[in-house]
Amino acid sequence: MRRRIATHGEEAEINITPMLDIVFIMLIFFIVTTSFVKEVGIDVNRPSNAPVQEQKMSEVIAIRIDETGIVSVQNREVDIRAVRANIESELATKPDASVVVISDRDADAGLLVRVIDQARVAGAEKVSLAAMAR
Amino acid sequence: MARRHAVQQEETEINITPMLDIVFIMLIFFIVTTSFIKETGIDPSRPEAETAYKQERGNILIAINSVGDIWMNKRKVELGQVRQLVEQAKNESPESSVVIIADQKSATGVLIDLMDQIRLGGVSNIAVAAEQTGGG
Repeated sequence: MRRRIATHGEEAEINITPMLDIVFIMLIFFIVTTSFVKEVGIDVNRPSNAPVQEQKMSEVIAIRIDETGIVSVQNREVDIRAVRANIESELATKPDASVVVISDRDADAGLLVRVIDQARVAGAEKVSLAAMAR
Repeated sequence: MARRHAVQQEETEINITPMLDIVFIMLIFFIVTTSFIKETGIDPSRPEAETAYKQERGNILIAINSVGDIWMNKRKVELGQVRQLVEQAKNESPESSVVIIADQKSATGVLIDLMDQIRLGGVSNIAVAAEQTGGG
């Protein structure tokens, strides 16, 4: 009788082999599907369609890009390499101003990204994007 | 003598507990770090930017090629479908944000229309992909 009980106790051990199989399969699945590649990019604010309080033009630094790729800061045509210096000097006179990039619909997206980037480098914290009305 | 031999035999069994510990830790690590990024199917030439940084939550990728076609989930989609696709993707992972991979030569109008559609789809964290250059 005693012997039988002992045998029974040994058999009651939990068999972990099926759990191990599942764990290994999950491990392999997650190793294979994981991708650590992250996209590199810049954030853009687009004013939403919801009505917001209108920004006074005096507190805005407007950068326009026309369809041929000519950039103008506050209605003054500038070269793309001079955008940063121009925004810096504008920001020096109006430190609270926000930068708005107004782009023509046919302008290159690459140029737009460069302008937004240059504005960021110049120290503008909020850069928003607007489309030129047709 | 015979009994001692039996004990020896039992002790030589491999102890798998440390291996199990490591396997579980690896499993948890991979579960936590996995993010299912949906590839767009095309690889446009990205613009360059100095202030570009890694978009940690950018799981939804949408690409625009140089002629203005929109690609998502490895197929070409129309502008009208984007909103629905973004809503679906947001349901699957509510924390994710959108990264638009716009070709340097693509028109800004498509980019702005796309951003409006994405915002209508319920994602307000939008970034434009760029190559990181030297500097800040």
